[in-house]
Amino acid sequence: MQPTTHHLPPRIKRIWGYSAMGSLLALLVITGLLWLAYRYWDWAAWIPVAGLVLTIVEPIVEVAFIPYRYQFTRYQISDLAVEMQAGFIFQKRVAIPIARVQNVTLNAGPLLQWQKLTKVTVATAATSHSIEGLELPEAEQFREQIMRLAREARHDNA
Amino acid sequence: MTTPKRTHPLGLLQHIAKSIKDYWFLFILLLSQWQHINSVWFWGTLVLMLVAFLIWPTLKWLMLSYAVTPDAVIVHSGIFVRHHEHIPYSRIQTVQRKQWFYLRPFKLEEVLIETASHDDSAPEARLAAVPTDVADTIEHYRHTAPAATAVADDTTALTATDTADQTDAPVLAHYRINSADLVKFGLTSLIFIPFLLVLLGLYNKIPESFTNSLINDASHMALALLIGGAILIIVIAWLGAFFWTLTRYYHFELDREPDQLKAAKGLFQRNTITAPIARIQAVRIKQNILRQWLHLQTVQVLIASKAASDDDDNDLVIMPVIANQAVYRTMTPFVDWLPQTAPDLTALRVPRNWYLMRNAVLFVAFPAIIIAWFWPHLSWISILLVIIAILQGRFAGHNTAGALISPNLLALQTGHFWTREVYYVPADKIQSMGFQQSIWMKKTQLAHLTVNVRHGNHNQAIELRYVPVTAAQDLYDWYLHRT
Repeated sequence: MQPTTHHLPPRIKRIWGYSAMGSLLALLVITGLLWLAYRYWDWAAWIPVAGLVLTIVEPIVEVAFIPYRYQFTRYQISDLAVEMQAGFIFQKRVAIPIARVQNVTLNAGPLLQWQKLTKVTVATAATSHSIEGLELPEAEQFREQIMRLAREARHDNA
Repeated sequence: MTTPKRTHPLGLLQHIAKSIKDYWFLFILLLSQWQHINSVWFWGTLVLMLVAFLIWPTLKWLMLSYAVTPDAVIVHSGIFVRHHEHIPYSRIQTVQRKQWFYLRPFKLEEVLIETASHDDSAPEARLAAVPTDVADTIEHYRHTAPAATAVADDTTALTATDTADQTDAPVLAHYRINSADLVKFGLTSLIFIPFLLVLLGLYNKIPESFTNSLINDASHMALALLIGGAILIIVIAWLGAFFWTLTRYYHFELDREPDQLKAAKGLFQRNTITAPIARIQAVRIKQNILRQWLHLQTVQVLIASKAASDDDDNDLVIMPVIANQAVYRTMTPFVDWLPQTAPDLTALRVPRNWYLMRNAVLFVAFPAIIIAWFWPHLSWISILLVIIAILQGRFAGHNTAGALISPNLLALQTGHFWTREVYYVPADKIQSMGFQQSIWMKKTQLAHLTVNVRHGNHNQAIELRYVPVTAAQDLYDWYLHRT
């Protein structure tokens, strides 16, 4: 089997967008609390201001990087190994031989569930590595494929 | 021994000792109530202590029973929530035997059994005081356990059948530390530094007025006296650490049996750990800065078990101290896949130390600036921090190395905190491998390589930073396409 390269489903971009909005909300709440602390406990004024700046900048950066993040996040499966890649400015690649895979876990938070996506985590005896979101049928196929290959290549080492 | 048995009554002592270790603060609580001897709080604390130190351990001891059957070790425990632990022999990672000196006349010992399960930091089974033949029986069944389910490696498959009838496996190699080496090991141990930090920490707790008067006094004293005092403290910490190491590694012994390593050590508590060779995740040869000067090394094995958590860095020490030139000659009889001679590791050398030095300086930059800004009279600390960072970066750069020394064995060398470590990792024990490169490193032709190995209950990431990209890429591709 030739290694095939996969991208994440395009809908993952929407999830990332919502998660940026989530960070915006969380940061707004934190800034609000900091403002209260400034107002009633005489904390220095620059603390809520810094919080406000972060609240504006962080979600913008997060949203701005979505196309980039999508473009460079991918994974590959061959008979021997799973490979995951992310980033271009800071490129990261990780190779997990199928024979080392202990289990594959699918889990989805409310956002992913709503979009019918799921996060896939591949665990070895030492580390675990995740693919941020896959279509449900695709994820199940991925799991079946890896577990089948793993059974074939089984060397119990842990 | 198929019907569940209780451990020996002396095990109760062990349970009580453990309770005292866990709930010692109750004594302080009691002392703080000493003035109000008639108050309800005092008596409440007393009752609490009675429960914690007497009733609870007794119940625990009463409710714990074990059985060693031909298929598995079975342990029943728990007071309100009953646990029934069933440990098949093929799943056992390490069997650890601890014998306190007071258990020796009774031929008793504590037995701890560990599997590779991620769940707990505690061992799967802890039998506080059982006759020594329990562990012997376990070892015996472990040897006869069907090899197919045990491990895929050939080493165990060969021995599983022919040792079936004998309890004592033949010893293929034996090592016993001599007193000179033990003293060398104790003297070059750097665990006196934590001792020293504790002493310094105590100094910080001393009230300000007292230290001020001390400094005033000190200014009248001769400088020599001050330095003498500092040296005295270091010597005390060092001697303390020395004797501590001495008692722990007293009569260190290592045996190679056909399919396992057995390490025994200790004066007051004899601690014996057996680990199957096929389960060794990696071998680490380690030198702290003192041992680098004296050309001595320490050899450890990484196993998927917490059995060796009392050892240096939580790893099972299999050779406490050994001269540089004798390492490989001495170790190969015990771990046969180690190379015969020191291998050439230049493939993954760092070409320029600058990046590592820069990163180390960046790491300390923030605290250094804060100190210099807010406490200008302490800016010498900032300068010292930066100098230490530069030297550390240089050390890391000099010591990063590695190579694939055979199709099945990877060697990696790192330098952290003035400790040089060489890892030997069998290819099939590498759990995953990472490759990182930033866009700027593309220009400089460098990359980071991470090798993940199982260690205790977690992951040990061996990181080689700023190594040549071609070498890192070759190794990564080799791993990715390995069958």
